[in-house]
Amino acid sequence: MKTWLVQLKFDGRRLILRNFSFQFFSILMPAGFYLLFTKVMVTGNVPTSFNLKYMASMMVYSGTINALFGIASILLRDRETGILQWSRLTPAGVKPYYLSIGCWSLLMNVLAVLVLGTIAVIVNHVDLTFGQWLSIGGIAILGQVPTLLLGVLMSFVSRAETLSVLSNVITFPMAIISGLWWPISMLPNWLQPIGKLMPTYFVNDWLGRVATHGTLVKTDIWGTGVWIVGMLAIVLCGVQLLLKRSDGVVSA
Amino acid sequence: MKPIIQATQVQFNYGAQVVLSGVDLTIHPGEIIGLIGENGAGKTTLLNLLLGLRTVKQGQLTVFDQRPGSMISKQKIGSMLQGDLPIRGVTVKDMLELAAVQYPNALKPTDLLAELELTPLAKRRLNALSGGQLRRVTFALALIGNPDLLFLDEPTVGMDTNAQQAFWQRINALKAQGKTMIITSHYLPEIQAVADRICLLQKGQIAFQGTFQALQQQYQQVEITCQTALPAATFMDLPGVTAVTKTGLQLQISSEAGDATLGALVPFLAQLKQVAVKRESLADIFVHLTKGAVA
Repeated sequence: MKTWLVQLKFDGRRLILRNFSFQFFSILMPAGFYLLFTKVMVTGNVPTSFNLKYMASMMVYSGTINALFGIASILLRDRETGILQWSRLTPAGVKPYYLSIGCWSLLMNVLAVLVLGTIAVIVNHVDLTFGQWLSIGGIAILGQVPTLLLGVLMSFVSRAETLSVLSNVITFPMAIISGLWWPISMLPNWLQPIGKLMPTYFVNDWLGRVATHGTLVKTDIWGTGVWIVGMLAIVLCGVQLLLKRSDGVVSA
Repeated sequence: MKPIIQATQVQFNYGAQVVLSGVDLTIHPGEIIGLIGENGAGKTTLLNLLLGLRTVKQGQLTVFDQRPGSMISKQKIGSMLQGDLPIRGVTVKDMLELAAVQYPNALKPTDLLAELELTPLAKRRLNALSGGQLRRVTFALALIGNPDLLFLDEPTVGMDTNAQQAFWQRINALKAQGKTMIITSHYLPEIQAVADRICLLQKGQIAFQGTFQALQQQYQQVEITCQTALPAATFMDLPGVTAVTKTGLQLQISSEAGDATLGALVPFLAQLKQVAVKRESLADIFVHLTKGAVA
């Protein structure tokens, strides 16, 4: 426990406090997007439901950026600089390292919920109950797990250049077709069913319904659950396979 | 005394490429082993096997009577591998504190920094340090757990002369404390000076294992210089002599059987002045051995 707490402090300093780009892309950029699309680039009265749904979308978008750009590149860089190998040689092994990175990623998502929620309350005057905020926080964290696991899986590519391409190729199309940037109904008919299978769609829809007092649908919960279990299975099998193929050393 | 490391017929290969083959090695507590060999001879792979980073394909390997990489062996081992940790956003003190918390008998980071004269660097970020400074921090990381066994892979690369001297002083102090060490280095005079035993790896096999003196005995190339009025031809037929050159009074004799040649020179000693015998250094012997001059 003590090892994990020291590891948490260690990673918090290097990944959050002393890493402005991580803060910018995970928190400030989605917050800027939210202000841009609900305050700057709109005319007339914006329905409250749009402000709420777009807030939910930006919370999911923040988590996706955080996982597929931030965490994936941090894990790859750590592997290249030798932290992963060093951790393997310590008595505690790599568990405290991965747990700490995962916790910080989820905590950053909580921070994104707080920042975006605060902006929504102050600037767009949205009004939610404490129970709704609590649900939004919980769903946002749960909904980030599949993308976080995808980020872990992506970090095992051999080169930073490949990861950069992969992050761009996956994140932005997934954000667009799952309705994070604009409503999914604006997409071509043939694309909408694909978008509705994305993990970001399920959690975005779920959050939007909680925020607007909408009817909860089981498919959002099932969809998120299937993505979590599926990604967990893929990551665990993938890491085992990589370790076996590389004889226990996953190095750069 | 029970050995710390016991390797029996260890083999390791990457696919079809055999990297280590038939490696037998026994290391006892307190020994310093100089692990030498050409690039690609298998030194780093052997260290990786001992650390549990890779798995032995054939043969048996135990460290502290455990399989390599076990919790017990990890707690007792400190390693300074070739790669340093130029981590962004992390100070030297942060790094040592993270390492210290993982070991049951860890040293206090501030004390270790002071002992290694690293206190002025304590608040510096790792990615802002020079190569030599980073190497010293990696050494501190290897020592923080107060290990019984140290693996030092090319430890002084990038260090300036002062840092190198301080490093070897520290190694001698650790030796006096009874620590066991395996050191690989291409700076062979360093190995010659501290190692109790030399282990020469050649193409994945141990070509020589023993003291430096035993290696010198096996390889008796010597250069004898002196001043004499005797003609060069006098020495040509002495046992082991391979070449004799004479410039004025200065005579130089090359021999491949030093002890025999020196013995045969005894009758001439009264006529020889300023006699000097230069035995081959570890570096010289290494060059000959790896070129296949001596089996």
